[in-house]
Amino acid sequence: MYPRHLTTRFLQRPDPAVSIDSTTISRAKLGDIDAFTAIVEAYHQRCLRFARSMLRNPDDAEDMVQEAFVRLYRALPRYEERYRFESWLFQILGNCCRTANTTFRRVEARTVDDESVVERMPSSDMPGRQFDEEWSVAVRSALAEVPDYNREIFLLHYIEGFSYDEIERMTGVRQSALKMRVKRASDFLRRRLAPARK
Amino acid sequence: MTNSDNDPVLRRAIDDLRRLPPLDSEAVRRVVSAAAVARVSPAEDDDMIVARPRRSLTVWTVAGIAAAAAIVGFTLHGVWTSHSPAPVNVASSAPAATKLQTVDRGRENDALPVPQQFVFENARAHRVSIVGDFNGWGASKTPMVHTPDGTSWSVIVPVMPGRHIYGFMVDDSVFTLDPRAPKSRDVDLGTEGSVVIVGRP
Repeated sequence: MYPRHLTTRFLQRPDPAVSIDSTTISRAKLGDIDAFTAIVEAYHQRCLRFARSMLRNPDDAEDMVQEAFVRLYRALPRYEERYRFESWLFQILGNCCRTANTTFRRVEARTVDDESVVERMPSSDMPGRQFDEEWSVAVRSALAEVPDYNREIFLLHYIEGFSYDEIERMTGVRQSALKMRVKRASDFLRRRLAPARK
Repeated sequence: MTNSDNDPVLRRAIDDLRRLPPLDSEAVRRVVSAAAVARVSPAEDDDMIVARPRRSLTVWTVAGIAAAAAIVGFTLHGVWTSHSPAPVNVASSAPAATKLQTVDRGRENDALPVPQQFVFENARAHRVSIVGDFNGWGASKTPMVHTPDGTSWSVIVPVMPGRHIYGFMVDDSVFTLDPRAPKSRDVDLGTEGSVVIVGRP
């Protein structure tokens, strides 16, 4: 059993929701560019974070985020307020990233074998900052090996904080399947990253 | 979430992945500029409303004027002679110029747009416009005109033959589907729209 404060922290939703009120969205629907700018400012960082983790080529992340916002702006007249705005945004962004991944040729650097991952793992006797940096690289390398369809759901749930209910509405995938995908991604990451803790 | 997900290794990985990149104001500006340009430009799938070659345009212009006159006459005749008002909130779309299409048929300008009439019946609305993939979903691009009897709104839009998604924007704020048209879910955006198939007879 883990200390309660750690478990509680783990269960918290990340990034307390950036509040974009319905008036701002309504103004953006009518083409108000200032309102749209406020929306982009509110969500750009989260979208970039998601795209960098989702894309096989993270260098494309900025382009994909831009593409998603362009699509969103064009489609805003069709946005219905009964849907959660950020679910809709991430649904569009997820579609953009999936499309980009299908057209991007998987590069050799991404298909690393288990041994090379272990060799790159940071060891706990490294100085703190160096360990953090290498840990961060190791996490991203491991995540890149998680199959796309598991990685997306893992990111939506654990990193972007969407509930399974919301992800089901966004993707059309049943909750039981969503939970299985998250579990598989989690198990994979745990196996890959465990050597770093030894 | 299961207990196994409270693994400290996984928890630390998630903490790391949750770190946000810094806000890049320049990137935000680029995104907003790109979106603003895209919204006022024809979409990649609505290039039917961009300029045509000069030769075809001349044919189209003459035929279009004749067709528009015929359509207006037909529409007004229908409105003024109708003795059974249609129910409120009923809309429909229909090819607007059969004769025009006959003129164009068989010619090299098969790629020209077809005037398509859209009608939205709503007596309570103050403003109605049509939004669709053929006008870049611009809420203010294609306002509809109130018919003389005050029960419906109408507009004729040149639309390329093919399948199109559209809807009506009521009072600048409420997106409404056409209740008489089939619906389609936009796979990219997850929202529904009404479908019209525009073709030449």
